[in-house]
Amino acid sequence: MTTANLLDIRQLAKSFGTNQVLKSVDLSVSKGEVVTIIGPSGSGKTTLLRCVNFLEVYDGGSIKIDGKEVGYRDGPDRRKRGEIDLARIRAETGMVFQSFNLFPHLTASENVMLGLRRVRRKSLKEARGIARHWLERVGLAHKADSLPSELSGGQQQRVGIARAVAMEPKILLLDEITSALDPELVNEVLDVVKQLAVEGMTMLMVTHEIAFARDASHRIVFMADGLVSAEGTPQELMKSIEHNERLKTFLSRFSSTSHLH
Amino acid sequence: MSQIVYAIPFLFHGLYITLLVSGIVICLSLVSGLLLGVTLIYGPTPLALLVRLFSDCIRGIPILVLIFIVYYGLPQLGLDINAFWAAVLALTLFKTAQVIEYARGAVGSIPKGQMEAGMSIGLTFPDRLRYVIFPQALRRFLPPWINGVTDAIKGSALVSLLGVVDLMQAINEVIGRTYEPLPLYILGALIYFSINYSLSSFSRTLERRYSYIRD
Repeated sequence: MTTANLLDIRQLAKSFGTNQVLKSVDLSVSKGEVVTIIGPSGSGKTTLLRCVNFLEVYDGGSIKIDGKEVGYRDGPDRRKRGEIDLARIRAETGMVFQSFNLFPHLTASENVMLGLRRVRRKSLKEARGIARHWLERVGLAHKADSLPSELSGGQQQRVGIARAVAMEPKILLLDEITSALDPELVNEVLDVVKQLAVEGMTMLMVTHEIAFARDASHRIVFMADGLVSAEGTPQELMKSIEHNERLKTFLSRFSSTSHLH
Repeated sequence: MSQIVYAIPFLFHGLYITLLVSGIVICLSLVSGLLLGVTLIYGPTPLALLVRLFSDCIRGIPILVLIFIVYYGLPQLGLDINAFWAAVLALTLFKTAQVIEYARGAVGSIPKGQMEAGMSIGLTFPDRLRYVIFPQALRRFLPPWINGVTDAIKGSALVSLLGVVDLMQAINEVIGRTYEPLPLYILGALIYFSINYSLSSFSRTLERRYSYIRD
């Protein structure tokens, strides 16, 4: 693993009105690393993830991808980046959403192609080729011309993953991507993520699938009350259970906790 | 009867003016209404509030009052404006306020996640509107908007009150010579009806065409 961090989050702070959701979060992800954020609801983990591609505007601290500040221009006055600047930076991160958020008026293939055409400026032929490649990779080559409404939840989410990775992002953000799925559809999606992890895709994800987090991540970050409460390899995290009461309480709620041992 | 036949070319010219007024109003209000509608939803708060104020004020005034304000009021402010353009301006203001509301309803119905998905793949704001939001909003926008188009055509009859010789005024003037109000008003009603009926049939066809997209 390289020492230079691909993603570097320092003292990140974010409030919604008077509610301080992120107090001071430090987190880094190096290239090829898979980091999972777990924690009780309201701990700020989804907000943290959404700050990384500036879907949420963070107030304090900094987020750097490849050394470049995400939401704000360099300089002392901390001015927000302009629309075009932001779009360019967002294109470097891929995001997969809990509720899929596929474009319902476009086919699976067109969903993948839109960013390739409009942002990456690929030719129609090239974009089509890339879309076909990624839909094949997520096992949906035969659904390329289907509208999202004709796909199951698991299939939709796999298209969502294809749409994100086809842009060749530096880092992939996964926001509780299986929470909206029927239990029997969860594995088809997690299998795709596991495969991406094996191939060296850098990922930062929020999940409630504790067993999956243990199997697929290099590092797990436990968040509570807008702070990182514990972090380490899955094994290290298990050790810290003894002196971290909150982590213990949190994990005891999952029947799958035993898998962590 | 022969006098009515004799007046048909005159009526057709009136119809031409009616369609001209309606056409200009519909085009102008579509552009301004969409721009202001997008401002209302995505614009900075002060601008959005101004649009809100504009829309509420205009929609709170009877269109006839609006026409008279523009026609009699603007010259007093030193703006020389003839009856035709005063009527077009007043109707456009009125229609713009409606288009703002159609646009707000249509664009506002698109889930927030759509905009976010567009952001996450690096689309710029104009591209997000063009490729993500507008295509989805279109099917919600079109039916009320086409209804609004028929309203605009019917409402354009009010320009006759400023002496613009549209279809309505042409009919009035022919009646002034022939003293046969009933057949002429029926003829006028039929012309308005046939235009608007074809438009609303078109609107229904469109609704069916878009119905394959499930919510």
